Formats: sequence, structure tokens, C-alpha cells
Amino acid sequence: MLLPVHEFVKPASLAEGLDALNSASGEVKLIGGGTDVVFNMRGRLFQPDILLSVKDFPELQLVEELQDGAVRMGAGCRLTDLERHPLVARFPGLVAGFRAVASRHIRNMATLGGNLCLDTRCWYTNQSAEWRDAKGPCLKTGVNVCFAIKTSETCVALNASDTAPALIAMDAVVTLASADGERAVPLAEFYTDDGIAHTVRRPNEIMTAVTVPPSSAPMVYIKETARKGNDFAYGTIGARGPAEDTGHAGQTRLVLGSLTSRPTLLEAPAKIIDEHGLTADAIDAAAAATRDELGALTNLYTPAAYKSQLARSLVRRALTNLQEQLR
Amino acid sequence: MSRGGGKRVMNLTVNGDDYEILVSPRQTLLDVIRDQVGLTGTKEGCATGTCGVCTINNSNGESLLSCITPALEWDGQSITTVEGLESNGELDAIQQALLSYGAVQCGFCTPGVVMSAKAVVNGNPAPTEEEINDGMAGVLCRCTGHIKVKEAIRHVEEFKRPTDS
Repeated sequence: MLLPVHEFVKPASLAEGLDALNSASGEVKLIGGGTDVVFNMRGRLFQPDILLSVKDFPELQLVEELQDGAVRMGAGCRLTDLERHPLVARFPGLVAGFRAVASRHIRNMATLGGNLCLDTRCWYTNQSAEWRDAKGPCLKTGVNVCFAIKTSETCVALNASDTAPALIAMDAVVTLASADGERAVPLAEFYTDDGIAHTVRRPNEIMTAVTVPPSSAPMVYIKETARKGNDFAYGTIGARGPAEDTGHAGQTRLVLGSLTSRPTLLEAPAKIIDEHGLTADAIDAAAAATRDELGALTNLYTPAAYKSQLARSLVRRALTNLQEQLR
Repeated sequence: MSRGGGKRVMNLTVNGDDYEILVSPRQTLLDVIRDQVGLTGTKEGCATGTCGVCTINNSNGESLLSCITPALEWDGQSITTVEGLESNGELDAIQQALLSYGAVQCGFCTPGVVMSAKAVVNGNPAPTEEEINDGMAGVLCRCTGHIKVKEAIRHVEEFKRPTDS
């Protein structure tokens, strides 16, 4: 089946890309590796007027160390290149997060920016056009109905980015460029609670880079799937522990992904670990405090009760892993 | 820019041969390889990037999925399809290995398996178990012949001719 009718535009640089974005008429969809965009176009979920290819902008390819020791990764870098990059190797949790994405084939194509901006997923919308026609439209496809949570006024489709929890746990900051200049947004604040407008990226902006500040604290990343290999996650966690030497209050990060519309940065459980360290009691308390921070859970892909249990289990497994790393 | 995006001429090098092709933005790289270049070895399976039977190699010998990449993204690039592996009528070492180890059943996924396996052994004559799993997890055999495929990859060196790089 052919892709929906559209115009394909491939500017040579970021500046030309921003120009094209500003002068475009109609809906523009940015495309990196295309592994998600083309998939959604095949399902007629995306029917943009213009596809604007950003992955080969030279400005988006660089991986470099900044003066303060932070590592800046271009948003156009392929996941395969990042997981093998010596500067990224400083962050084992990040490497694990990049490796967790789909298959080698996909990672040879998919870009970092593309994975972070990955569209949310829902059992009712991520189907063929014929399937959706039979069921009828929903919030995401044009009317005021949600099939996942009948009373919901916003789309509750799940965030599907495997790399986001790992990067948020490392306090990553994304750079968004527009014709007016650049702005930096902490990745933790990049996502919204809405499954449709699920990021704060404005239509005239292109994500150019992701910067990870230096950190010596132990980190871990876990992805739970139905099967190994090429699969979306049931749930993911990116976690960073308190550094070995004490006096690093506020360092613990616990970030759950794929369970709700946005990756969830857990506050109370992290605070418990910051205050009490990685003791068995603190880990129990942190796991117990997890569910309250997730809000309403859906039955999308897995039952809500399973999601609750998985969230607690992921927190416990991540913290136990960090405890072992520090031992 | 008007809606309806017209066709455009793109350059593509397939298996060392240069093509100048009139392509619509609606076509994927797979469509162009099969319908315009006329090489039908590369198959369309799921068409959603899950099954891997549309795998081709880029100029670095890496595996890519031709079904979920817009053709025009590849303007000016060079790719290798399963037809490009043989030389002078002789199969590539990885093809010979797969054949000899009985790694072909119904054969539908075979072009994808061959190109994915080629990417695994490219510059790596003795891939580890982990490297094989990593490179092959993205291509699915519904006849479930994965064990024989892995055996063949492990033994690819035995099938190299002295002239092979």
C-alpha cells in the first residue's frame, strides 16, 4: 500500500529546515529515521501535507563533551551510533536505554530525537484505518470519546519512548531550535499529560540536541516486555542512585516509562531513598509509595492492576540493583 | 508547496548499478526496489517494520528496513539487496552457509535473513552469541528456523573463498 499523499522535503541544514518549517502551508510532520512516522502513515494515523526530513542536518549529528563535562548528543544521531559512542559509554544506564529500543534494524535507522518525540500508543488508534473505521473515531482521531477510559476528557494513550526514562533519570536537557533562536527544556518537563499534544515542542521547533550533565552516581535501566527483542515495553524504569559518598541529597531519580501518557518522575519514593539511603526498609517504603504518583492507569495493552504491580516491582528491582552496585 | 507532492527523479545505486528513477513521495524504498528497479528478491512482509523480511544493507553494510523508509530519503545513496551478494554466479559465503546448514525452509524470510546475517558477519568473522542475537532479533522466520540460521552464521568462515575479503 502506498503512503498517504504528501510532499517530501529534505533541506540541507538546520537553518534551511527552520525556513521550510516556517514557510510551509498545511500540516508538517518532522521525520528522523521514519521507523514510527512511516509506520503511522501506513496506518493512516498520520496524514501530513509535508514530511520534513531532519535526520541528516549536519548540526544534529555531533556528539561532544562540553566544558563542564556534560555530554551533548545531536538529536539526529542514530541509536546504534549512540549506544557505541565512547562518550555515551560513561553512562551505562543510557547505553542500556538506547539498546532497549526495538531491534538492530530499527536502531540502525531510528534517531534520538525521533525516539523522544515518538507518538503515544493506544490499542484503539494504533490499528489499520479499516479497524478504526469499524470502531469509530476517538479523541485522537477527531471526536470527543475515549475508548480506554470512558470518562476521560483527554487522550490517555501511552508514552512509548524507551530512551526517555533513562535520559530523565540523568537530568537530561533538550534543545529546541526555532527561527527565533534556541530554548532549553529539561526532559522531565518536555512531556505533557495529554496523549495527543504529548510534548511541549511547538510546531515551529526542531529538536537539535540532548545534553546530559556529568554524574558519577550509579544508574540502572530496566525494560519489561512480553518477549525479548523487537517489542514495545509493558513498562520501563530509568534510575539513578545516591552517590556512594553521602551528602548528595536530591540525587536519586526514579523514572517510570510506558505506563502513562508521560514518563513519570517519582518524587516521594526518590525522597525516601535520599533521606534513608538504599536500605532494605527504604526500598520497601519507596516501592509502596510508587502507585500513588501514577494517577489513573488504563487497561491499554496490559490490565491496570498489572501496571500498578509492575510499577512497584520495577522500582524495587531498580533500587535493589543500585544497592548491589554500591556494595 | 501544493498538496499532492509530484514525482521527482532520484538517484539510487543498487548492487553497484546506478539508477535514475522517477519516484513519488508515496513510495517506500521497498516499492522502488521491487517495482521500478525490478529486483523482487526483497520481500514485503508486515510492511510495518516488525518482521524484517524487507531488510537491505546500506553502504556501511548495516541492516535497514526498506518498508518503513520513504524512498526519497535515499536520493543519492547506495544500497545492497539480496541479489547483490553473488559474484560471477557464485553465492556469497553467508548464502552458502545458510544453504549448507539447512537454514532455509519456506524461504519467504530468507532475503531478510541473508541480508541481516550479512550485516552481522560484515567485518566480524567470529560474531559472539550475543552479537548474532542482536543482529538477527529483528527478522522473524515463521517456520521458526532460527537455530539453523544461527548455526550457519557461526560457521560462515568455512565457506569463505580465498578471494573474499
